[in-house]
Amino acid sequence: MPELPELNPVIHGKLRLALLSLLSGVEEAEFTWLRAKTGSTDGNLGAQLLKLEEAGYVAIEKRFVQRKPQTLYRMTELGRQELTDYVQALKQLLGAAIEA
Amino acid sequence: MTNIEQQDLKDRLNLIENMIAEGRRSTESWGWTFLLWGVAYYVAILWSTTGFGWTLWGHNYLAWPVTMIGTCILTVVLAMRKHGRQASTTMGRAISAIWIAMGISMFTLLLSLGLSGRVDQQTFVAVIGAMLGTTNAASSMILKWKMQFACAVVWWAAAAAACFSTVTQSTMVFLAAIFFCQIVFGIYGMIAEARERKQGANHA
Repeated sequence: MPELPELNPVIHGKLRLALLSLLSGVEEAEFTWLRAKTGSTDGNLGAQLLKLEEAGYVAIEKRFVQRKPQTLYRMTELGRQELTDYVQALKQLLGAAIEA
Repeated sequence: MTNIEQQDLKDRLNLIENMIAEGRRSTESWGWTFLLWGVAYYVAILWSTTGFGWTLWGHNYLAWPVTMIGTCILTVVLAMRKHGRQASTTMGRAISAIWIAMGISMFTLLLSLGLSGRVDQQTFVAVIGAMLGTTNAASSMILKWKMQFACAVVWWAAAAAACFSTVTQSTMVFLAAIFFCQIVFGIYGMIAEARERKQGANHA
């Protein structure tokens, strides 16, 4: 029987998973856009994004637009690869569960 | 694996699908730009043909360059205010690139033709019609938006008609094309975008 894959704990958190999925569909996104799409609080969102950044899955760019600070988030190649692997692992686990 | 664990994994898979779809959902609104530029064309035509600009601003030949540059600045300022806090997509960047490139081409060509005196009313309408037809068509193919492709057809028809018409006829054709492809299409676009935003809000 093939060994079942383990799910990446950094991606497995629901909010982090939602953030990576959102970022996979866009080039870059602003903090407030991510907050609106996920419905999370500033503090929680900031903490989860920091974890993704520390893991190297998300890159951050800070800039000023019309004198207002703007924080942009972009998914890295590593993040994209890890999300793909996570989805494959999920499907494998679900497939094994259905077969069992 | 228990049923609860299995359901949790399914929920995560659904979450990924929903969030990817949500991220790609268009939240940008550009219908207002069509309306704004439609009004700008009418202002430029009115200024350059009726001569009210003579008394207000001095010279009629400044009508088109001044109106176009002014509208361009207004578009950039309003766009930055509206879209400054969103997400950018490859598709959005592609469409913006097409319109910006067309705007620069049209401005350079028409300004040069105007200054050199090698342009008449019919050629002017034909150039604008052909360029707007091309840009609307390219944009509609990216967005798969039939209504915008219909606008492209109207602009191409206006460009072709201008080549065979008198000055008065070409003006009428130009005014009609602006009305349908800028004013009416702009309002239609704004309504469609508002509807999409409402559906998005309900979906969320």
